[in-house]
Amino acid sequence: MAKIQLVVPDAPIEEVAQLKASRTLRADGIRLGILDNSKGNADHLLNMIIEGVKKDFKVSSVVMTRKPASSRPATEEVLDQLAREADLVVSAMAD
Amino acid sequence: MSSLANMLQQPGALIECDDDPEAVFELLCAHGWSDGLPVIPPTPERIERMLAYCDRDLDQAVVKIPPRFGAATPVRIAANAVMAGCKPEHFPLVLLALEALAEEPYNLYGTQATTHPCTPMLIFNGPIAKEVGINAGANVMGNYVRANAVIGRAVRLCLVNIGAAIPGTGDMATAGTPAKFTFCVAENEDNSPWDPLHVELGFPKEATTVTVVAAESPHNINDHESLTAIGVLTMAAGTMANTGSNNAYYAGQPVLALGPEHAATIANGGMSKAQAKQFLYDHATIPLGKFSQEGIERRFRRKLADQYANATLDTLVHMCAKPEDLLIIVTGGAGKHSQYVPTFGNSRAVTKGLKRLDGEWVHSIHELKRG
Repeated sequence: MAKIQLVVPDAPIEEVAQLKASRTLRADGIRLGILDNSKGNADHLLNMIIEGVKKDFKVSSVVMTRKPASSRPATEEVLDQLAREADLVVSAMAD
Repeated sequence: MSSLANMLQQPGALIECDDDPEAVFELLCAHGWSDGLPVIPPTPERIERMLAYCDRDLDQAVVKIPPRFGAATPVRIAANAVMAGCKPEHFPLVLLALEALAEEPYNLYGTQATTHPCTPMLIFNGPIAKEVGINAGANVMGNYVRANAVIGRAVRLCLVNIGAAIPGTGDMATAGTPAKFTFCVAENEDNSPWDPLHVELGFPKEATTVTVVAAESPHNINDHESLTAIGVLTMAAGTMANTGSNNAYYAGQPVLALGPEHAATIANGGMSKAQAKQFLYDHATIPLGKFSQEGIERRFRRKLADQYANATLDTLVHMCAKPEDLLIIVTGGAGKHSQYVPTFGNSRAVTKGLKRLDGEWVHSIHELKRG
């Protein structure tokens, strides 16, 4: 059978810079960041995770942040704060 | 600016297939490039013809479509428009709709990925809508008219194929909606007693615009009995007030698409569009006590605490935050029916006008033809 060429209708995932996160934990403990997506029970789930992390690791601080709405992205201010003040961030939704 | 030939020489730009319609359909479906219905094969020759009505650089992304944030270049959009069955004259309206969807207030990322069954409703106003044959009359939200079917379908295919709104991964809709195949209408400006939507929003009547709304499927409002403005609007208000609607919780913009006969009854009763919106805001309400106990406690008392923390159960919940948030259009043919279109909620309608590169309004689609 004869062949035809088709134009591919999708788009590739664009290459993005991948920052390699440092996995070295601070001697004085993890600075834990929390991003609540604002769903109804996200805070309950995240509080359980915080308590679980604290049981197994030394945690020096917890910074709690929240999205304005579950279907909207976190604000630049929130992301900048997490970048400054947290060594790792847990984000979760629960409804 | 790259030529089409150069762009199609890029790795991955083309894929080979047996020259057979069923083989083409099978291949496209196998790659997930589909809405499940047969398509026109997107051959380079057809893409070139589609791009005859494109005034953009072919290698520059018109928009990036989430959740993948795929670069929607004119060539990729044209491939989807060909697949959908568009004529080249439809292409500028597909571009316009995608540009409107990409504006931040619409919240394309959220609407693409949500579990809610929303999809872009495209509402066209102005002369080009009529010129390219977008139906504004009988069966306006149904099947049969090509322009409505293929323009809406092309936009949907772009959202799936370029944006990766793939059910279960990028599009997490619990059930979705049949409107995800296409949802494209024009306002019936000739049979409306009021200014059309785009004029109400500040555009000149000569402008052609698209208004995009993150819409659910329409719900019919059957009212053969009411003879007054208050009567028709009371029936509409009753249809709008639903406990399961996002519009009861978020500051969204639901749409009331009045059939021309209902619109005439309202206008003949002396009501302006603004007055009709005020009436619907006041009367499309649900007493708080009609929601479930859990809904009252978890959503209203807690998440909407600033309004409802101590509200009594007879407090009225409105279906939009303020009267002007409700969009009213007139569309459809003869008959005593109107349509209520609930929306996603956390999304704002966006209206965008069709202009030439020199900034002038387009008066005929053929002004956009290359060469």
